[in-house]
Amino acid sequence: MIIAETVNTVVIAKGLMIGGGFIGPAIGIGIIGGNYLSAVGRNPEASKFLGQALIFVAIVELFGLLAFASTFIVK
Amino acid sequence: MNLGFLVNFADTGPSVHIAPAHVLTIGGLTITNSILYGWISALVIIALFIWTARHITIKPKGGFIQIVEVGADFITNMVMGAFDDKQRARKYVPFFVTLFFFILFNNWLGLLPFVGDGLQSSHLPLFRPFTGDLNATLAIGVVTMIVVYVASIRESGGLRKYLGHFFMGSPFNPLYLLIGLLEMFTDLTRVLSLSLRLFLNIMIGEIVIAVFSFLGHILAPLSALPFTLLEMLVAALQAYIFTILATMYLAIVVNHASEHQLEHLTEDDVPETIDSRTSRKVIG
Repeated sequence: MIIAETVNTVVIAKGLMIGGGFIGPAIGIGIIGGNYLSAVGRNPEASKFLGQALIFVAIVELFGLLAFASTFIVK
Repeated sequence: MNLGFLVNFADTGPSVHIAPAHVLTIGGLTITNSILYGWISALVIIALFIWTARHITIKPKGGFIQIVEVGADFITNMVMGAFDDKQRARKYVPFFVTLFFFILFNNWLGLLPFVGDGLQSSHLPLFRPFTGDLNATLAIGVVTMIVVYVASIRESGGLRKYLGHFFMGSPFNPLYLLIGLLEMFTDLTRVLSLSLRLFLNIMIGEIVIAVFSFLGHILAPLSALPFTLLEMLVAALQAYIFTILATMYLAIVVNHASEHQLEHLTEDDVPETIDSRTSRKVIG
């Protein structure tokens, strides 16, 4: 392919992987944080569930990290 | 221009090592830099905590001892809160407190300046954060999940009963069989998800610090400082998350098992006016 010879496709692939892989967790963490804050705003006693919100942040974050780790496979 | 280890790699780009480097060979076994630093940090942690245990007093004196007390109290409350049966929870508290402090101090010791490219042997870093190596976090994850599985099997009263819970008690129903097999597979991925999360968080922290100390050039300590502070927070958060997830995996099974023990009681044993929460206190 001519495109593959002239354009450094690896860099584009890595950029797409990181961009696409991080957009999901970013939205997810935003939703978790926003919902936590709105819950606290509605009911201030809900602030004790911060630890559980952080667990979900960690679960969501893992998928972004997996996308990051797989960029090292692309050669 | 060469100002020591700070700008050693300024010409070649940020020095990022994904895999641990081989440092020395003992009797045919390859010793990598991460396991070397893991031994050192394990010795440091053991010495520190033996010293803390010897010097701990009823009236807090402050300093490092009090930090350990706060952390141990925090994890103890977290574990006790996760279990319904407090007597059973007490048995597992030491393991989870140890796990938390081991991961926390390994993460923090990995942020010291001489870890990484500071000290080198034949152009490869001599030390590497122990938790920044997949083999290390996989070992921690496997040991944790073995403890969780063994404790779950013991608490639910035998391997047969433990496996029966996956199939909701009837493995001959085709739908329950399928769900049970899927559940068992999901259970096995916990080892990977625990260890990958810890490894990737610490690894990415290392990469971010490497990139920003490269961008900072001569002011590398200044440009990398905010990210090092961020990584200190991430290190504590990841240690907490690892511990709480392991606790949850165990607590789900143990709470289920302690509910089953209440099932042996017939309706007549419990007065109708007492709800299940108070009846548990009466029985327990």
